[in-house]
Amino acid sequence: MPAEALSFDLALDLPGFALRAAAEIPLQGITVISGVSGSGKTTLLRALAGLEPKSCGWVRFGGEDWTGKPPQARQVGFVFQDARLFRHLSVERNLRYGAARRGTPEPVLQEVIEALDLVPLLARRTMALSGGEARRVALGRALACQPRILFLDEPMVGLDPARRAEVLPYITRAVDQFGLSVLYVSHSQFEMALLADRVYLIAEGRLGPLQLGPPRFSAPVIGAGDGMVRFEIDGHDFCLPGNGAPGEKWEIRPGHGCILSAEHPGRNSAAAVLPVICTGFDRERLLARIEVAGQVLEIEAAEPFPERQQAWLICPRLRARKRG
Amino acid sequence: MSDLVTPVWLSLQLAGVTTLILLVIAMPLAWWLARTENRFRPLIEALTALPLVLPPTVLGFYLLLLFSPDSALGGAFLRVTGDTLAFSFTGLVLASILYSMPFAVQPLQTAFHAVGQGAMEAAATLGASRFDAFRSVALPLARRGLLTAGVLTFAHTLGEFGVVLMVGGSIPGKTRVISIEIYSAVETLDYQTAHVLSGGLLVFSFVVLTVVYMLNHRGVRLAG
Repeated sequence: MPAEALSFDLALDLPGFALRAAAEIPLQGITVISGVSGSGKTTLLRALAGLEPKSCGWVRFGGEDWTGKPPQARQVGFVFQDARLFRHLSVERNLRYGAARRGTPEPVLQEVIEALDLVPLLARRTMALSGGEARRVALGRALACQPRILFLDEPMVGLDPARRAEVLPYITRAVDQFGLSVLYVSHSQFEMALLADRVYLIAEGRLGPLQLGPPRFSAPVIGAGDGMVRFEIDGHDFCLPGNGAPGEKWEIRPGHGCILSAEHPGRNSAAAVLPVICTGFDRERLLARIEVAGQVLEIEAAEPFPERQQAWLICPRLRARKRG
Repeated sequence: MSDLVTPVWLSLQLAGVTTLILLVIAMPLAWWLARTENRFRPLIEALTALPLVLPPTVLGFYLLLLFSPDSALGGAFLRVTGDTLAFSFTGLVLASILYSMPFAVQPLQTAFHAVGQGAMEAAATLGASRFDAFRSVALPLARRGLLTAGVLTFAHTLGEFGVVLMVGGSIPGKTRVISIEIYSAVETLDYQTAHVLSGGLLVFSFVVLTVVYMLNHRGVRLAG
């Protein structure tokens, strides 16, 4: 059990809605809070950020008591479902708004801007942004405050699969590059499978943990350099950030899910080129069938692929570590 | 033709001072009205909107009673300044503030309501205190409402007649504003003065309203 945790015992009674949630969430990786629509996921996130003044109970962040503190004293980076960019400010001034108030040094701000590829957007008006761009700016604005924890409230809602494939790698990059722990609210099983280190489920106004075991498989390193390691899995190349030597065996957990795209997702994202066996719809999700390491997997696709077409397999949370 | 500069200058002073003071008062009031869930809100809203429907003479009558040296307010003012509140410039300013209140509060309330809770919450999570968020987010987003409130208050105060006549009478250089001057001119058959002042007010009001509508239209286009 890590020493640092976000622990709370909160109750909220509103007309027609009651929520009781108590947990000790480790400040490490991505914690998904899931549940059906209207179950109180967003309300819990808001209460933890200090945005629900009517909630009772207590909140502790590490050794610090957050109970009764206003949102501006909690240093939570909050990315709202509807982005909530300030429409009277340009993208750059949106990014600088929180940075100025939290005293973020200029190099850190520039690092955020570069990590999220926001340079081409800086001079734009927020109303001229696409849905995916607006989420990226909102994420950047939250990161520019140097938050101690990041709250993401259904950041993929309302985005089509192609835009989701655009935003997802940025979220994981933000987590990895800035070493932040994340509370991620989502009712999508796909996002849960794709990102979660652990999952808590809200049902009938109560919060409880749900264990999720990631699948793993091992692969030999075939090349290394420039901070990247190359693997071969069943005749296909995988690249991952890291240091290793050829001949080593690494254990890879394919996150807990991957997404297929016809376009390369950008630098730093773990991606592999794989042939797609076929694509089809399962309810509203577009699924592609691929073969990795002798296993046939069904994976959510950003767009339909003709049979045997080459596509990028993007695993935002793909991790590898040396065996033994 | 009688002296035109004095009533015009007096009217501009009255409208300017009233607008400045009223904006300072109306901003927090409109902010509160736009966001509160207090059950007394309809009562306060009705009170601020009263001057829209009341005959100016009714408001003027009650203010005259309130300003009289026999009342607590009027008596205190007389003791402190040595002057009566009724038939003074200060009395006119107080009366104008009450009379023009809805013209400042309502556009601001609508504008603040449109800012919404979401932007304020976002500002708070980015480290802004409530006052900082009001200053840096709510006010800039509501700037067209602020402009409309200022312009309407100024123009409405410039054109008021009934309340001024009841509270201020017609003392040249002190309370005889443009509208009273027009009334006196017509009574004494000085139609030339009445023409110049009436025409001036008509053109001014038309230009002001056109500018307000143009700015609002431009804002809507930019926002869309």
